[in-house]
Amino acid sequence: MSTPSRVSPIAWLVAPAGLFFLLFFLVPFGVMALFSVLSGNPVQRPNVTLTGRHYDRMLGDSLYIESLWSTLKIGAVTTAAALLLGYPLAHWLARMRSRGGHALLLMAVIAPMLTGIVVRTFAWITILSDRGVINATLTGLGLLLAPLPLMYNELGTVIALVHIYVPFMVLTLAGVIGRIDERLEEAAMSLGASPMRAFLEVTLPLSLPGILAGSLLVFALAISAYVTPYLMGGQQVLTLPMLIYQQVAATFNLAFAGALGVVLLAVSLILIVAYNHVLGRVARREDLA
Amino acid sequence: MPPPLPTASPASITLERVTKRFPGGVVAVDKIDLIVEPGEFFSLLGPSGCGKTTTLRMIAGFEAADEGRVVVGGRDLTHVPVHHRDMGMVFQSYALFPHRTVAENVAFGLRMRGVARPEMAARVASALAQVKLEGYEARRPAELSGGQQQRVALARAIVIRPPVLLCDEPLGALDRKLRQAMQVELKELQRALGVTLVFVTHDQEEALAMSDRIGVMNSGRLEQVGAPADIYDRPRTRFVAEFIGEINLIEGRVHDGGFIAADGRVLPVSSEKGEGAAALALRPEKLRIVSSGAGVIDGVLSDASFLGDQVLYTVTLADGRRLLVKERNPGTGALRQNGSTLGVRWEPRDAVILRNA
Repeated sequence: MSTPSRVSPIAWLVAPAGLFFLLFFLVPFGVMALFSVLSGNPVQRPNVTLTGRHYDRMLGDSLYIESLWSTLKIGAVTTAAALLLGYPLAHWLARMRSRGGHALLLMAVIAPMLTGIVVRTFAWITILSDRGVINATLTGLGLLLAPLPLMYNELGTVIALVHIYVPFMVLTLAGVIGRIDERLEEAAMSLGASPMRAFLEVTLPLSLPGILAGSLLVFALAISAYVTPYLMGGQQVLTLPMLIYQQVAATFNLAFAGALGVVLLAVSLILIVAYNHVLGRVARREDLA
Repeated sequence: MPPPLPTASPASITLERVTKRFPGGVVAVDKIDLIVEPGEFFSLLGPSGCGKTTTLRMIAGFEAADEGRVVVGGRDLTHVPVHHRDMGMVFQSYALFPHRTVAENVAFGLRMRGVARPEMAARVASALAQVKLEGYEARRPAELSGGQQQRVALARAIVIRPPVLLCDEPLGALDRKLRQAMQVELKELQRALGVTLVFVTHDQEEALAMSDRIGVMNSGRLEQVGAPADIYDRPRTRFVAEFIGEINLIEGRVHDGGFIAADGRVLPVSSEKGEGAAALALRPEKLRIVSSGAGVIDGVLSDASFLGDQVLYTVTLADGRRLLVKERNPGTGALRQNGSTLGVRWEPRDAVILRNA
């Protein structure tokens, strides 16, 4: 008899995904992180040394610090707005009894994702720009003298990002909310909780894992977005991905681009861990000892 | 505003022509009239889809009645929302809050009512003691067995001292032994609290064992309301007769104060008024096997099933119909022989006549 294998044969099925992750994430990230602390390209120049000058340059230049702050702010505001807009929609979707209605709403949530990000961003430009639908209507009616600054700023960037990423929030939340037993809210109501109180006491805390997952997804997508901030911000809003692209494509300074990427990743990870921690604390907090 | 603390005194429940229609035109509950007395243990019994759970959910306020009134303790609750009805509810799935401990689950209703902490702690402790769950305060529902979860659900419902306790198949998920133990406990608890209890079940044995009165439901209507013995011994409709226990039905008609079977044979019944098509209903344990020719009908014994305390015999009549006969286990180990010809008889007072609707 052969000795029983310690590894389940199913486990080998994750091998392709693992290999993909290794080749196209860990290796590039390692190379990028390595470049960011080297004085030059080791392939071209054999006598490179370790250096912290790329990080010094970033920390010493307010342009990069401000754009990091702006990136994180856009990410946080986009996540918060997507959560506030997406939660009621996800709740509605998860609790819908009619199968037809459920399918229609699901289609409505997913359909925008079938259109490219560039196309959707240009749609927002036609709505929000100085001569776009909103401003043209309001000034045409004489309600405004000058157009409202709806884009080429963080507001326009956030509006477009929320629109693009809210389906990720809705789908993640709907999955979690759909698994919460509706009888729990009924039990809470039978014990004297108003429908709103029952939601706050039962469904909301039980959907925290979905809030966490959806927020992380949207935050990660929003801080790494390039096309939308580029088009909606109109060079007035500089986010870190735009500066990284500039370093790679225009300046060819791969080491400095690597340093910017490492800092963005590190700061995001710290924020994500902190967010996770706070939500965990909220979930464990109880009103009764 | 949290609702005020309810008093512990049991309330009556009155349903007046209560009707519930679901989208698509299905009438789930059809003009039900029912009065449940204060302190009564009342079971709604019926097959799945008969409307018993919908009726309970209308009393609780989870479903709005399309017609009729729901009056509890003299107060018309028809348009009062769930959270102002002050009723304890135990769900089939228990519906315990998975993110809260046992103590927090039980305290929930008290917290909603703004009960002060010392009183809350005392009442949670006494409710948990009542369901014999001391020492489990800090556990989470997922760490408890099904029976223990059931007890937490019960404690959570009774801690608010509701005048009415509603139970939706609360023992359905438990295994047989535990279910029987919980039946006794629930009955004792109900007596001790003096609460009016409405119990929904599809299990006729459970309903017979626990209830003061039973309402048998079928297709959204109450077929019969009465004490367990009443329902069992004197069923008023074929549905009730067949749904509860085993029964032999012999088709025929009532004529001249007696009963004539379809084959023309006159069968013994206590005197019956009126005329018309009917069925004669006989419980298997009311039939007796006698020697051939000495009974009302002769037949051939075609099957014997040993049930432990009793033996169930199947007697096949000349026209192919079968009668079930239950006899006490004689304890001699000897069962009657298949294939033997014998007679079956019964006392006229044990025969129930069911009129065709």
